[in-house]
Amino acid sequence: MDAITLENVTKSYDSVTAVSGINLHVRQGAILGLLGPNGAGKTTTIRMIMNILVPDEGSIQVLGQPVSDNTRDLIGYLPEERGLYPRMKVREIIIFLAALHGLTEAEADRRAKEWLETLGLDEWSEKKLIDLSKGMQQKVQFITAVIHKPPLVILDEPFSGLDPVNAATVEEIMIDMRASGSTIVLSTHRMEQVERMCDSICLIDKGHKLLDGDLRAIKQSYGKNTLHIEFTGSDAFLKHPAILSMTRLGNGVEAKLKPGADPQEILKAAVQENVSIIRFELLEPSLNEIFIDRTSRA
Amino acid sequence: MRKLRLIIKREYLTRIKTKGFIIGTILVPLIGLAFCLLIIFLVNHKPTHSMRLVIVDNSGTLAQPITQGLDAKLENGQPEFNIVQTVLRPASPDAVQQDLRARINSEKIDAYLWIPRDPKDSFELHMRNPDNFSLIGPLSGAVDQAVISARLSERGVHLDDIKAVLHGNDLKLMKVSDAGEAEEKGQSIGIAIALVVLLYTALLMYGIITMRSVLEEKTTRTMEVLISAVPPFELLTGKILGVAAAAFTQFAVWMISTALLFTYGALAAMGMGGTAMSGVHVPISLVLYATIFFIGGYFLYSSMFAAIGAACSNEQDAQQLQWIAMAPLVFCMVIYSMVLNDPTSTASVVLSEIPFFAPVLMALRISLQTPPAWQIALSLFLLLATTVGTIWASAKIYRVGILMYGKRPSLVEMFRWLRYS
Repeated sequence: MDAITLENVTKSYDSVTAVSGINLHVRQGAILGLLGPNGAGKTTTIRMIMNILVPDEGSIQVLGQPVSDNTRDLIGYLPEERGLYPRMKVREIIIFLAALHGLTEAEADRRAKEWLETLGLDEWSEKKLIDLSKGMQQKVQFITAVIHKPPLVILDEPFSGLDPVNAATVEEIMIDMRASGSTIVLSTHRMEQVERMCDSICLIDKGHKLLDGDLRAIKQSYGKNTLHIEFTGSDAFLKHPAILSMTRLGNGVEAKLKPGADPQEILKAAVQENVSIIRFELLEPSLNEIFIDRTSRA
Repeated sequence: MRKLRLIIKREYLTRIKTKGFIIGTILVPLIGLAFCLLIIFLVNHKPTHSMRLVIVDNSGTLAQPITQGLDAKLENGQPEFNIVQTVLRPASPDAVQQDLRARINSEKIDAYLWIPRDPKDSFELHMRNPDNFSLIGPLSGAVDQAVISARLSERGVHLDDIKAVLHGNDLKLMKVSDAGEAEEKGQSIGIAIALVVLLYTALLMYGIITMRSVLEEKTTRTMEVLISAVPPFELLTGKILGVAAAAFTQFAVWMISTALLFTYGALAAMGMGGTAMSGVHVPISLVLYATIFFIGGYFLYSSMFAAIGAACSNEQDAQQLQWIAMAPLVFCMVIYSMVLNDPTSTASVVLSEIPFFAPVLMALRISLQTPPAWQIALSLFLLLATTVGTIWASAKIYRVGILMYGKRPSLVEMFRWLRYS
């Protein structure tokens, strides 16, 4: 049984087709990266899984059940557009939302205490939400998405507004949740996070699915056609005809090779130009590369 | 149901904890009390010391009857008017006037009454503060009586004879109802107007509170988190019932304090010599009908206001759109005096059957003169049917609107939302 099944799902608003015939299977116990440029249809897809929107065509199942008002409680949701009642106290709002998801108030209270401690917010539990910093509000919102231990968690940009320490904490929590069997859908623009955490990805653009599947398999299918070069000296050798395109990184470049090109030719050219090479490595393309490649092609 | 209960509870507790609610709940009865006391005070206000008056009589005949007419006493037993001096036919009127003005300015006397040579000319009362009605009234009465009496004497008639002849009789008004008949003291009009104002205010005020509450969830972006836990219809219902519970609490406080105020207020008023507040009687059937129509109207208007709140993204847009729900209520306030004057006219009957007006106008008609049962039943049926329809449409608009941000939708767009699945 899949955690999420989308079959030929289509949704339009008046004249705009936001999601067009998307098929997707999300395996239980995996972290799926839902990727796509702004306006690709990610939020619409998520809202249909949440039964907030109803698809015009196709069907959606969550943990084997067709989506309905009852499947809401199986899912923990952190929307991209965040906000909670600003004048409610932190502890009260966590208990309120946990109770709405089916916990008893006593149980909600107990878990709220645990979570506030885990995320270093225990001193703020009696403060109004409006008195908290943006990052702290973000953490409260994260708690409300996971406190009822849902088997499926959908997180839309969970790291925005978090400092590296808190981002690492949230990342750790997500890995723990996967270990305990939860399925996580992670929608984000931070490719390095997706590469680090996700088991599979689904890339959509303009309402269409461009790519989906196991992240490692996707990268392997691209083959080792990308050179990571770190160097000091002139960069004239990068105009070599074997290089198809490249992305400049802080301390070097990521260069995509033409099919059948020999990387040794480029190394020779660099040596001839007296460039001192620090790193010269042939790799699979980064997810960032794949993202740009696929979305610009479409 | 569990979720609905949680939504109602949160909404209720949030509402009654706001400063505005607490202040409104306490302040309104206090303002009412202050207002009642002020009216009682003004009505019963009597000066505490006599008015020192000089009468200058240029005719030579009227001073005496006027003086006789000014025999009223103050509460403390003092005479209301203290005639300090009577000047008959002064030789040099201007000098006398100057002297009297000086005496008023130095506060030796309060006023002087100037009686002209020819009683057909104007009488004049000179004083520092010419708008002291409680004194001018009796004085003007005494002057009238003296002048009329003099004219009658010229024709050989005695004033008392005329009074005896002209003494009319009161027309006692009796209101006939199912419960028998009772003397009408102008109460039902007072109750009717109070009812209209009460219904109008409550429907408008709590409607707008519901709208703001929905809007707040949108502007703070709490909405999406909520509907990930609760179906939109339950959220809408919970919101309306939560505000209703808060409204009921506030009204209960107001009603109880008003009842206490009337009981003690009436005693206080009687203590001060007034009886105006005592004996107000509101029939129980009216309370029952008004409540039923109010509940119907409450759901009708709250759901409309909630839909408007859901369709807008900010307070300004909502203020522009709220006239849709406000217009019928305001219309009731404009038209109610027509119904008050003639509750059985065709126009009154038709208007009170229209569901958007029924909560106010049918309640008004019932308070004035119980309409035929079929009219009440039809009005109630139409109101309930329209309320169900409006809640359905509002829920549709609400469901689409709560996730729409940006430009305010036009009415045409909102109408189109009704067809969305």
